[in-house]
Amino acid sequence: MASLFRAYGRGLGALLIAIATLWILALILVPLGAMIEQSLWWKDSKGEITLQIDRLYNDMATLQLDASGESDAAKKAGFEAQIAQKQAEATALEAQETNPPKTYGLANFTRMSGLHFYIFIRTIIYALMVTALALVVCYPMAYAVALASGPRKAIVLTVALIVPYAINELLRVYAWLMILDYRGVINGILGWLGLVDLDNRGWIPFLENPSAVFLAMIYTYVLFMVFPMVNTLETLDRNQIEAARDLGASSFRIHRRVIIPHAKPGIAVGCIMTFMLSAGSYSVPAIMTRGQGGDWFSQLVYRQFFESNNWNMGSAYAVSLLVVCTAFILIMMRLFGVGLRDIAK
Amino acid sequence: MSTANDSAGARLILNIYIGLFCLYLFLPLAVMSAAAFNSYDYPSVTQWRGFTLQWFVALAHDGRLIQGLINSVAVALGVIAVSIPAGLAGALILTRLGQRSGTVLYSVLVSPVLTPGIILGISSLIFWREFGVPGGLFVAVMAQSSFIASYAMLLFLARLQRQDRTLEEAALDLGASHMLVFRRITLPFLAPTAFTAAVVAFLQSFENYNTTVFAIGGEWTLVTEIASRLRFGLSPVINVVGVIFVALTLVAATTYVLLSSRKKAR
Repeated sequence: MASLFRAYGRGLGALLIAIATLWILALILVPLGAMIEQSLWWKDSKGEITLQIDRLYNDMATLQLDASGESDAAKKAGFEAQIAQKQAEATALEAQETNPPKTYGLANFTRMSGLHFYIFIRTIIYALMVTALALVVCYPMAYAVALASGPRKAIVLTVALIVPYAINELLRVYAWLMILDYRGVINGILGWLGLVDLDNRGWIPFLENPSAVFLAMIYTYVLFMVFPMVNTLETLDRNQIEAARDLGASSFRIHRRVIIPHAKPGIAVGCIMTFMLSAGSYSVPAIMTRGQGGDWFSQLVYRQFFESNNWNMGSAYAVSLLVVCTAFILIMMRLFGVGLRDIAK
Repeated sequence: MSTANDSAGARLILNIYIGLFCLYLFLPLAVMSAAAFNSYDYPSVTQWRGFTLQWFVALAHDGRLIQGLINSVAVALGVIAVSIPAGLAGALILTRLGQRSGTVLYSVLVSPVLTPGIILGISSLIFWREFGVPGGLFVAVMAQSSFIASYAMLLFLARLQRQDRTLEEAALDLGASHMLVFRRITLPFLAPTAFTAAVVAFLQSFENYNTTVFAIGGEWTLVTEIASRLRFGLSPVINVVGVIFVALTLVAATTYVLLSSRKKAR
């Protein structure tokens, strides 16, 4: 704190602290806290109270009937009193019905149904598979870019990687949707070749297969895997490769013993980013499957918020997802021995 | 294309691989672009009904997409206005903090980058509802800024690492006020980075979907509008939007390559 004021003076130092505090509180920590708080309470289901109210009104109607048929004034007054009492009860319950009391607990987490839990686990597995596939696909590319001879080629390759990335994420998914759709490019070509019969809906339903989502997801997040690896591989001293080769190591061995160990921080960062993005991706599964393929967890979260209108359950789902992503990050950081500063470029 | 150390066979395989990889990257975009010019009301390249520009005209008359574009630009400008000062403040503070307190603060400030986008959208939505602000453009700005400010901060931090602090100290010794030093030395030094950060923030905000879709409420940006249309089927108008993006990106990338190779030549 003191060093801040020394460096920037009182007024400016205070202003910087104020802005940063506002950022941390209003944009990061308190919203996160609000979401966690929301996930920890629920309002009791309205069904039972509504039933009670209905019953009370039924009783009241019966009493009303009895009262109107009763000629004895004293008995009639008795009915009236009962009606008034039931009415008071019903009013109290109605107040509860419109504003049920909050109950705190972990039930939103434990209440996750079997199917939703299955989708949760499946999403994690899918995200791990996407990450592993992306790693395998991107490693040779990162190697080629990082060790490209000549600055010109490196620039061209880098731009070739950046151009698709600069185009909207959604449009990149859309491009794949066009290719894999029922009347898409691949089915169209197969139709030409006479392999499928488009007129009789004999197309191949690529979009209903989870691998369609994989394909588009790797396509969408490929750069988050390539760039961290390029960054670390660029610092590799090429003489090491040469030395290994002179000493008779095979290409495979060189990769395994020299290049991959050097690229470890980059691999960790790439995996962290890709896993986080794919586990939390709403755009790719929502657009690629259009409800016809298997759901991803993010779609369930969306539906809790905007279709079931159950923000408490939705928050609990979101928190579960956040916990998994955080755990993955921590595990990767520990396994690969990287710090937070390495992750953020 | 690869190191001179590789054997010819390995080099060939690697080059083929690079070729395939680039095909994987560019073919979908080419297909999408081509279909925008097809006179067929389902976006297709296999069913070619002749060249047309009718979908460009249709886009120009599409009120909701145009409004979405305006909203997207408005949100992006809002994000720049929030995240550049926040990122700058965070970076300036972090460069002067000690190792320990610095690490804690750093973890908090970069955490949004490592948080799934939908969670940033959800938490902002819940937070602002407490103040009676429903989902909409404002909440979208706030939700996006939470992580875009982190990106801006990382850019500023990288720049500040290369700063020569003696300059500021000398100015202070010579009696300049802190304000004057900041205005005349620190800010000019950071100005190019501020520009880069603003461009990055604009692009990030403009293309953002996962965070925005939760925070946007009843309003819409270009991207959320496109997404909600895709539920009902594909339309060549969307391809036209794609073509425009591809063209703008290609122009920008070519300019960048030309500029950087000219810089190299000098």
